[in-house]
Amino acid sequence: MHEDGVVKALYERGVSRRDFLKFCTTMAATLALPSSLIPKIAEALDKKMKPVVLWLELSDCAGDSESMLRATKPTIAEIVLDVISLEYHETIMVPAGKAAEKSKMDVVKNLKGKYIAIVEGAIPTKDGGIYCTIGGHSALDIAREVCGHAMATLAVGSCASWGGVASASPNPTGCVGVKEAVPNATVVNLPGCPVNVENITATIVHFLTFGSLPALDARLRPLFGYGKRIHDNCERRMHFDAGQFVRKWGDEGHRLGWCLYEMGCKGPEAYYNCPTVKYNAGTSWPVQAGHPCLACASNNNWDVMGSIYTRLPNVPGASYQATADKIGLGLAALTGAGIAAHAIVRGIKGRGPKEPVPIQDEEPERRKKDAENRD
Amino acid sequence: MPKIAIDPITRIEGHLRIEAQVEGGKVTDAWSAGTMWRGIELIVRNRDPREVWAFLSRI
Repeated sequence: MHEDGVVKALYERGVSRRDFLKFCTTMAATLALPSSLIPKIAEALDKKMKPVVLWLELSDCAGDSESMLRATKPTIAEIVLDVISLEYHETIMVPAGKAAEKSKMDVVKNLKGKYIAIVEGAIPTKDGGIYCTIGGHSALDIAREVCGHAMATLAVGSCASWGGVASASPNPTGCVGVKEAVPNATVVNLPGCPVNVENITATIVHFLTFGSLPALDARLRPLFGYGKRIHDNCERRMHFDAGQFVRKWGDEGHRLGWCLYEMGCKGPEAYYNCPTVKYNAGTSWPVQAGHPCLACASNNNWDVMGSIYTRLPNVPGASYQATADKIGLGLAALTGAGIAAHAIVRGIKGRGPKEPVPIQDEEPERRKKDAENRD
Repeated sequence: MPKIAIDPITRIEGHLRIEAQVEGGKVTDAWSAGTMWRGIELIVRNRDPREVWAFLSRI
């Protein structure tokens, strides 16, 4: 334990060394690192090294700030406030007006290329950027100034990553994400609505431990958080595979926690670590709470996936056998064939959409191919 | 007489600018402005009413 290190500072606030190591373990798990690196993370965090952070709020709803402030002991806020030096955050800072702007500009001037910018909210570009101004400057000018001179910028939440809800059609204010507005900035995108604070912290912890940003995909998202499909890690996946679907809010399947695909779940098209990391300190996430996934972290989710409650068409592997006991064994044999049987069942039952969207059951094909490959 | 402006007002959610006219140490007139607009009202137009809550809860 360093005399002036983070562990001691936390200990004085009532966070035990055990809690701290637990935090390091969670971070290693979130970053998909082997447990052998936990001591390295602990060592890196215990150094007296506080990167200066400016948190900008542009065209936002403060949802990502709220997300950051939700955590349990040792609170992420405690860790973050001790590990980093947060010099500017409109919603929680004491100075206002010119004094607030001075805090920001002092960092930009004196620590050029050495501070981390965290941006929450989209950047309106229409009509000269007049739709979001702070201290008389447009969000676009502020982003150019602050992100353009930062060592790295974390675009937190969907708005800062690709425009988010503000850029939904018809995008009245011409909102874009940070990278599009400031192409020369070094940007890590952490989409999500709101972002999961574990992913912000893990990115910072990775930086402090290894001195580099985590591996990113083509959309500048860390692979550790956005490399896996929600559908593949979903706790309701077995019900999808078994053809057990919620068909109406509050029906028996809904009460039993069956698959929400028919109710419009976008999990099969969404890439995010929601099912494993969850929200509110690992308490729950939308699907666990019984609501379909909105694909909130996917680009243009508000416009390209249909309404929240419209079923995604053509998801491979969907099978229907839930009504076998009522229709009879003969029909149950057919259900494996997929949509043909589904349409019949739905027709006989006299409910559901008149023209069901065809669903291709590629599962038998895939199994056949797998078997061939094994031979 | 001096007119002062405080922008941004911090410790609130959203972006706010306050201007005040000060005469003899007293505020005689004041103006406030929300300095951010995204047009969510225009975005939800013609959408499925069942999903509008998801947009409005993000204001």
